[in-house]
Amino acid sequence: MSASAAAKQLLAEALHAGVDAIPDDACIGAFERWDSLAHLRLLLAIEERLGRRLDPDEAVRIESLADVAAVLGGR
Amino acid sequence: MTRRPAGQPIDLETARFRLRTLKPADASARWQSWGKDSEVMGPLNAPVRDMSIDYLANYAASFDNEHRHLIGIFEKAGDGHIGFFIIEIDRAHRCATFNVVVGDKSWWGKGAVNETRAALLDHFFERRGIEKALGSPLARNFPAVFNYKAQGWRHEGTLRGHRLSVTDGSRLDQYQFGLLREEWRKLRKANA
Repeated sequence: MSASAAAKQLLAEALHAGVDAIPDDACIGAFERWDSLAHLRLLLAIEERLGRRLDPDEAVRIESLADVAAVLGGR
Repeated sequence: MTRRPAGQPIDLETARFRLRTLKPADASARWQSWGKDSEVMGPLNAPVRDMSIDYLANYAASFDNEHRHLIGIFEKAGDGHIGFFIIEIDRAHRCATFNVVVGDKSWWGKGAVNETRAALLDHFFERRGIEKALGSPLARNFPAVFNYKAQGWRHEGTLRGHRLSVTDGSRLDQYQFGLLREEWRKLRKANA
């Protein structure tokens, strides 16, 4: 699975939504379903997938689906 | 002994909430319960403790409504107290530091913080001469960080190991977020 697909899957699970409900340009503030508790679930899921805690500079940069993919892809 | 507040109390409304300066009479078992809840206190790195009603009443009385504000968040439907803001004013630099606690967990994830904080930003920027707002969530307080970002605050820095954990003594990272009055006005205009 590509980092983009994995990112969409993680975000969908965090939002308790289907993958089809996640727009490619999903980002904080512009995608209403992405709320504070979903963000908590998302970051914890990212950490679980990576097998490590996010560095604070890494975590604070996560604002969009593309950012999630970048973290998962090691960019 | 209760001190007489020096400044003007705050009383604002949003679509779902009333925001008003807390008084000693607002001390309640409901407010008391938040201090005993590790899910509420943990993300703030605040110790879980049993604060008496008298303690909370005296705490409310200690705010002067000028340099320090304690503002309750109340549901308009039912008038239930769900949380509070502590806002500290640096008059010399026209800055206001925001802290918020939503103790009623049924309101978590429902936009209560940003709805109410928006009204307070309007008030402090437009009525009280504040030119910059500041917020300092712990880096692991992901919901709080989300709220700052969703509201348009800017991440200005990361303070590494800036706080000592009250639970295990480890050092905790903290973020600094900021929002200038002109940035807030632009955001308000763009979202109007």
